[in-house]
Amino acid sequence: MIDHIGAALRNTELVQDAQQLQGQLKRVMHTFGRTCRGQKKVYVTLVRQTEKQLLAVGQLVGPMALKTMLDLYEDTTLPDTQKARLHQHLQQATHHYEHIEHQSRQLTQGKKLTQAKRVNAYDCTIVPILKGKSNCPAQFGKKPGLLAEMATGFIFGLHLPEGNPEDAAYVPPLIASADAAIQALKRPRKPQIQSLAGDLAFRTDPVREPLHARGILTVGIPTTTEPMPRTASPQQVHAVQQSMPFPQAPSAHQVRVATACGYSRPFVESLIEQLACRGGTQLKYKGHRGAVIQVSTAILAHNAATLTRIQRNRITPRAKRYRRWFRLKPPNSLENNEKIN
Amino acid sequence: MGLVRQLQHWLGGQGPRLSVADFVPEDHPLRLWADTFPWEKMVAAVDAYVPPSVAKETARGRPGVATRVLLALELLKAELACSDEQITSRLRTDFAVMYACGFEHVQTDRSQPHFVLPESVAQFRRRLEVPLMHTLLQIQATDAMEKGLVSPAHLVVDTFVSEQGSQRVTDATTLYKAKKKF
Repeated sequence: MIDHIGAALRNTELVQDAQQLQGQLKRVMHTFGRTCRGQKKVYVTLVRQTEKQLLAVGQLVGPMALKTMLDLYEDTTLPDTQKARLHQHLQQATHHYEHIEHQSRQLTQGKKLTQAKRVNAYDCTIVPILKGKSNCPAQFGKKPGLLAEMATGFIFGLHLPEGNPEDAAYVPPLIASADAAIQALKRPRKPQIQSLAGDLAFRTDPVREPLHARGILTVGIPTTTEPMPRTASPQQVHAVQQSMPFPQAPSAHQVRVATACGYSRPFVESLIEQLACRGGTQLKYKGHRGAVIQVSTAILAHNAATLTRIQRNRITPRAKRYRRWFRLKPPNSLENNEKIN
Repeated sequence: MGLVRQLQHWLGGQGPRLSVADFVPEDHPLRLWADTFPWEKMVAAVDAYVPPSVAKETARGRPGVATRVLLALELLKAELACSDEQITSRLRTDFAVMYACGFEHVQTDRSQPHFVLPESVAQFRRRLEVPLMHTLLQIQATDAMEKGLVSPAHLVVDTFVSEQGSQRVTDATTLYKAKKKF
């Protein structure tokens, strides 16, 4: 880029310097490429060594780019539009260098993962594996969002946006779908959403503040990667009651149940697995509308199966305990009365 | 030939009249599964929703297959992981599937290959739109809350990935492509 600008400015000295530097950098990269060729591996140690050589040789790139920028600014022969275009290209080139340097620093010594090893797809060190066909190099999917009951996994809402928005954007439409179901109840006293659990992606303030304004506890959403407590101490309950500016302070029981109903990855995985069994994770129908139909039918079928299990009382002890907390079942006097036991 | 097959109907059979509910055990998983749905409300919602892409129904011609049957088939497809062909084929022989589709009595001929054609299920799917699916979910959730089975008090929110798979080649897709081509 610098020699191109130098040629446009008719600055032969700059062109020569740039070409000489480019030759030196190419020589370093040539050695690196010859060592790695055909190995189908990236040797991190070799990358580090090459990086040092490149940085040593390429020390002059920064000052040279700055000098070119100044020459371009002071030049009076070129038209303004061309100068602006060249300036923009030079800036882009310098930013590319920063980006590549950042990526190179993220390389770590890794080893092959075992089969069925669970990883975080959003880790910086994970490279996405694209699977496709000759006429379709990469297949893409959808990212549906779910809102489910914590006890039995009954799904209240589905939100399937087009594209891949951030997870925080799923909360308002999902809460709205649960609200719609609540409003349709023919009861004078309607139930309320008391708490919402989610993973780290939902910890941002723009998600939490509207929920707090509605009186919905967010103690089930972690703020760090530390494990969340399952039982809240009296101090923690008091802190939650004081910290959340609700219209009406939550009761200690509400806070304890909300803490117990914190985000649980195994629970969410079981939900996803049940939807996968019903074809909710392998879309066959075309387009966004097709995806909504397929995932929705899978959810309707899953919900019916969940209701069947509830009616037959074939639910886990955890679900039974949670249903007692939610006042969906009478308390188990034998279990809860420690004096008798 | 297609039109003739389309006009076959399970009510016009010559065989013995069988009560479906008597045949399916009360604790059969599909019977229990089907009994949880608020069918009346869901069918009313589907009937009330006429998407702009579908022409309005007229009183002319033979009445179509009931919405209750087609909606149940679409849901059974997900529950039993079947294709259109497989689920319509099971409807012909499986009494539990008949019960889930709302059949009270069945009277059929051995020569009759189908109660509902796979093409009819595909046609019905064209009527389903995004707002309607959300309405169906809402109806099911409201009904479950009315019965006191679930509570919206403590909820969990998360996302998952649905991979876009290749569309399975069926008679319905072949027919659709042929119609589009000619």
